[in-house]
Formats: sequence, C-alpha cells, structure tokens
Amino acid sequence: MSDAVAHADHHAAAHAHHPAQQHHFDTMPQQKEAAVLGMWVFLLTEILFFGGLFVAYMIYRVWYFDAFAEASRRLSLFWGGLNTAVLIGSSLTMAMAVRGAQTNKRKATVNWLILTMILGTVFLGVKVIEYQDKFANYEVPGPSFNWLAHEQHQAAAGEHAAAPAEGEHRKLSLSPEQLQRTTQIYFSLYFTMTGLHALHMIIGIGLMSVITWMAWKGRFDGEYYTPVEMSGLYWHFVDIVWIFLFPLLYLVERHQ
Amino acid sequence: MSAEHAYAHDSHAGGHVSPVSLYITIFLALMVLTGVTVAAAFVNLGQFNFLVAMIIACFKASLVIWYFMHVKYQSRLTKLTVATGLFFLAVLLGLMLVDYGSKGFTPMPPPTDSESVIGAH
Repeated sequence: MSDAVAHADHHAAAHAHHPAQQHHFDTMPQQKEAAVLGMWVFLLTEILFFGGLFVAYMIYRVWYFDAFAEASRRLSLFWGGLNTAVLIGSSLTMAMAVRGAQTNKRKATVNWLILTMILGTVFLGVKVIEYQDKFANYEVPGPSFNWLAHEQHQAAAGEHAAAPAEGEHRKLSLSPEQLQRTTQIYFSLYFTMTGLHALHMIIGIGLMSVITWMAWKGRFDGEYYTPVEMSGLYWHFVDIVWIFLFPLLYLVERHQ
Repeated sequence: MSAEHAYAHDSHAGGHVSPVSLYITIFLALMVLTGVTVAAAFVNLGQFNFLVAMIIACFKASLVIWYFMHVKYQSRLTKLTVATGLFFLAVLLGLMLVDYGSKGFTPMPPPTDSESVIGAH
C-alpha cells in the first residue's frame, strides 16, 4: 500500500494508478484501446503495402497464366506446406504467449514467446533452403536465369531419360524461349513477395526478443501486457500474409 | 523494476481471456483448411480453382483476425478500423480489375524474341 500512497501523492488523486498507466490516459482499458487502435492503423498501411504487390501479381498472373502455372510447379510443395504449418503453429504459440501475459503467468509467457521465435526461425531456415535451391537451378531472375537448366539437370540425372514428349503430359502453350522470358516475371514476384514477408518475420523475431526480455524482467501483468499483444498482432498479420502467399505462389495450377 | 499490485485489481481491465481450447480449435481448423487448399489444388475445377483457394484463404484469415487477433472482443471503433482497411484493399484490387477489365484483360500473346515482354500492351 505504501507504493499506492506514494503514487497517489504524485497525482494528488485518491485512487491508485497502475505503474504502467501514462498520465494522459484516464484508465488502463482506455490506454490499451488506444494502443490497439494505433496498431491496427499501422497494420492497415501494411495491408495496402502488401496489397500493391498482390495487385501486380494479379495483373501478371492473368497476362502470363501459363508461365505462372509452369513456374509455380518449380516450387516445392513439401517445403511450402511445411512452412505454412510452422507459421500457423507459431500463431498458436503467440496467442498462448499473450494469454500467458493476460493470466499473469510470467514463465509461460516467456516460454511461449521463445517457442514462437524458434518456429519463426525454422520458417526462415526452410526459406533459405528454398532460395538456395532456386539459386542452384538458375531460377533467380537476372542474367543467369535459365529456365531449361532445371530440365537439363533432371535429364542428366536420368529422371527424364525417356523422350521429352513422353515425360511432358501437359501441352505447353509457350516455347522454351517464351518461358525463359515470362517465367522471370513470376520469379521476380516470388522473390519480392516472399522476401518482403521474410523481412517482416525477421523484424517480428527482433521485436519478440525484446518483448521476451521485458516479460522475463516482470514488466507485464494481467492489466498491462500491451507490448506482448502488439507483437502478437504484428505476428498474426505476417501469418495472414503467408496464408495468401502460399496458395498464390505454390498452387497456381497443380492439377495437370 | 517490477510491476507492483498496489492498486485495486479489476479483473476486466486486461481484456478478454480466451480459453486454451478455443485457440487449439482455431489452430486445428487452420491446419485442416491448409490441407483442403492443397487437396483442392489437385482437382481440376477450371476457373474455380483460384476462387476456391481464395475463399479458403479469406476464411482462414478471418479466423486469425477474429480469434487470434482478438478483434471479436475489441471496441466497435477498432472493428470499424479493421473493416476500413479491408475495404480499401478491396478498392485497390477491385478498381484495378475494373480498369484492366475494361481494356481487354486477357492473357497476353506470348512475346516473340524480337519484342519486349513489357510494353506490348
């Protein structure tokens, strides 16, 4: 109670304030709502930030659908699917971290945050494997891009040893030269969109490491856990972006 | 410095606490829907493949926004703010489609070696 008295002296108020409450807010719920609203306004700018890329994707997908379908098959469904599961799992652990803070469980909050960061790192690790594969197969847009390198490599490995017409059940509407040009548009969008997404993941993990340290120091309790919740909103937003990127990039046309 | 509880505690001040079972349910729903998305991609639905994938993705995103991001328990002002963002995203995508749609928005003729990929339209 001595703390409360000292605090009340400061404010010349009869009731005690939460230590985290700032003087320009009347109550803790009001302070929290202002933070939530502000975070959502930031996330709206993020939605439109990614929205521009989705528009570019949409236009080029209609224009060069066959190239998008062909290039999309070059992505590994295994790694993409695994990463989707990892990211959804990290959203669950993040939600649990916020819940831990809400219910005054300091250790649980820290552990869930660490688990979320581990899952985020696993996601980025898988992304590194995928990017490496793209570099190794000359599938990075630019002077070294070679659409045929992949098939030549497979032919050399004996996977497509039979006549090419036998292996190719799909009838290609584009010649190899046309594919060489148009699939670079797909891969440009692939690297831009997943790269920007990965950058958001890296920032998210950076945010979380600070929040974890704050949680460990006991800065949060059931009434004040705004930083945990804000990082959560950011992390879930990044998850949502991936929920759209996965079908758009990996599943353009898989049924043929 | 640790946060002292020297003030009158209000159990509602911290916001809604969702049960763990809800989070697990949402997580499982998201995983199942991911599986459905992949499975649906291998079925030839023609033009509807894209539509199905996007409807599932929108539903998954809604689950995350509503439950994981606690929008369900936020004020009407926050809900309106979220809706505003989605509205402007719809404007961005929709008006671009209307614009391109009015100019013969069909697959581009494949470029030949002599012409540039961009700028042929």
